Amino acid sequence: MRNRIYTLALAVAAALNAQSERGAWTTYGRNLAGWRYTESAQINSANVATLRPEWIFQSGVIGKFEATPLVFGGMMYVTGASNHAWALDPLTGRVVWHYLRPVPGGVNVCCGQVNRGFAMRGDKLFKLSLEATLLALDPRGGNVLWETIVDDYRKGYSGTVAPLVARDKVLIGIAGAEFGTRGFVDAYDAETGKRAWRFWTVAGEGEPKGDTWGGDSWKRGGGSTWITGTYDPELNLTYWGTGNPGPDLNGDVRPGDNAYTCSLVALDADTGKLQWHYQFTPHDVHDWDAVADPVLVDLAIGGRKVKAVLHANRNGFYYALDRTNGKLLVARRYTKVTWADGIGPNGRPILIPGQEPTEEGNKSCPGMGGGHNWQATAYSPQTGLYYFSSTDGCGTYYKTTQDYIEGQWYQASTAVGVARESSTGSILAVNPVSGETKWRFDLVTGPTAGILATAGGLVFTGDREGYVFALDARTGKPLWKFYAGGTVIAPPISYELNGKQYIVVAAGGSLLAFTVPR
Amino acid sequence: MSGRPEAIEAGREIFRIYCTPCHGIRGEGGRGPDLTRGTFSAGDQDTDLFRTISDGVTGTEMQSFSLVFGDPGVWRLVAYIRSIARAETAPPKGQAQAGERLFWEKGGCGKCHVAGTRGGHLGPDLTRVGRQRSLAYLRESVTAPSNDLTPGYFTITVVKSDGRQITGVERGYDNFSVQLMDMSETFYSFQRAQVRSVKREYRSLMPDGYGSLFNAAEMDDLLAYLVSLRGAT
Repeated sequence: MRNRIYTLALAVAAALNAQSERGAWTTYGRNLAGWRYTESAQINSANVATLRPEWIFQSGVIGKFEATPLVFGGMMYVTGASNHAWALDPLTGRVVWHYLRPVPGGVNVCCGQVNRGFAMRGDKLFKLSLEATLLALDPRGGNVLWETIVDDYRKGYSGTVAPLVARDKVLIGIAGAEFGTRGFVDAYDAETGKRAWRFWTVAGEGEPKGDTWGGDSWKRGGGSTWITGTYDPELNLTYWGTGNPGPDLNGDVRPGDNAYTCSLVALDADTGKLQWHYQFTPHDVHDWDAVADPVLVDLAIGGRKVKAVLHANRNGFYYALDRTNGKLLVARRYTKVTWADGIGPNGRPILIPGQEPTEEGNKSCPGMGGGHNWQATAYSPQTGLYYFSSTDGCGTYYKTTQDYIEGQWYQASTAVGVARESSTGSILAVNPVSGETKWRFDLVTGPTAGILATAGGLVFTGDREGYVFALDARTGKPLWKFYAGGTVIAPPISYELNGKQYIVVAAGGSLLAFTVPR
Repeated sequence: MSGRPEAIEAGREIFRIYCTPCHGIRGEGGRGPDLTRGTFSAGDQDTDLFRTISDGVTGTEMQSFSLVFGDPGVWRLVAYIRSIARAETAPPKGQAQAGERLFWEKGGCGKCHVAGTRGGHLGPDLTRVGRQRSLAYLRESVTAPSNDLTPGYFTITVVKSDGRQITGVERGYDNFSVQLMDMSETFYSFQRAQVRSVKREYRSLMPDGYGSLFNAAEMDDLLAYLVSLRGAT
């Protein structure tokens, strides 16, 4: 026990310097730019065929396991469904501590009682609970150091996102656009939990862009921020994707562009002030959230280096923007699209008429979940390719009128698959400069899992049917697979410990660690 | 509340938002069962529907909605679901006993379908099909079985590396492997990388035109038997 305490003390000390710790995983996207790329190459294309399970942690929790585990100081920290969290021994998968905060009755969530992970800074872990309370936990025992109510879950707000640490602040987004909420990005003092700023993702009456909403529709305007943003310390800008306007499928009650929904917003990390925004889908009526990872990469374009942000949007287009000013660099279709004939020079989509939802149902492509949805993406500096998944198919979109009731579902109908046209899926490797698809690995159903890229020339991901698998990062050729027996939703991560590289990913209710024999 | 127009309309709005992802925009089914048949696996009374919606169904994706809608909302849904029952829910004209003989003898249906304690395993189990499907649906299933395929019963054709072809009913289909059962109920499992091709078709292995085996009276008898299959409980 004494050894364990000593190790934990070291862990906390090491955590102070964790950002640079090779082999660790200390923030949602591994680095603040959101690359999800590990320099570890012990597991590589030459030996990945020998990869085998090292341990399996069975959480016993029913629900979707979506979290990106953090690993630092010789410990793993992972969150589960329904406000569970654990510290695990990353060598064995044994539980060191378990945290559970009962979910209050009346918390409404669109898509399961999920959580996507911790953030860390110094001697604190940060977790957003389902009932929209931000917690700071002590990594040594999981006890609560401070907690701050972010907003009122009875209004439809909920917390699922992994926080992001930018300097001395903990940044979070919020979920709840299907319940008539008004979205935001918040920053909190990491030491005290006091709120430093809030940026509303829905422009209110009298505010800039407030005229992009009819009447008082902005009050229920959605624009939730349920996937972790990224941060550029040099520019001191943080980038967050925003979700659909509300109600999702009936835009009649919210005429206008509906700023800043379905957009990427660049915020000053100290003040939360909007520096620029780019709206991918003005006046969205297909539930095409723009929450996919905003990945920060410097691209060589026309002989000059451009600070870019990459984004694979649910609307079927891949985008690269200049992250200093939000100007469009490239937009290219990556799956079947019927709603727009490209993106114009002014950055707005060239709309194709007749694609909106109707009472009787109207087919449009992509389907409701996209295109690329929220699942974590990866960028490999080794291959220069950007990896993301896509659901390839269409949807039949319906709309209806619906009265707003505070805290209740407010989607104004739904979308379903097209009869006899099953959606399929793919893992894509895209040239981030041109948007050209370098290779495509076809999936029999829509993708569910996030992606990890490695210096071993590999891309790791999983699928709906329960496989974890590795593809050649340059060609997309499958090189290894393991049937885990549960849907893989979370992105795989990697870390090194005692000279051994681990690949860890959740499947079903379990967390699996893989290594190559030595 | 059943039959009250305002309750039906309120139920329709709830249904379109919460229920259509699984049961379809018209309640005709999809991931979840067809709700227009007027007959339900959990019981046919209003109170059975109320209980199912309120409590959910263990072991399925049907969650509890009691907290979401409250009792009044659930009753409105019951009213709406009652209102979308197809007019054609009258009892079948035929004789179930005669249909049972046709099922096992002339029709040979039992070679591929379980009904109760016996039968083959290639096609869907029909032990409770009288609860699960409407008469019209059953008629179509006999005469044009590929019109609406039971999920998981696609036809799979694998061409092995030696060129030999195996066709059967899907038992599993994923990115790396495929499992199927052929007409002799032999189970096969293949790694996709080790075969020449895998083809998955939206068609039933049950031949189209199966209904021509029976005259009109026999068809009524067969349908009467199928409708009578309601399981042990």
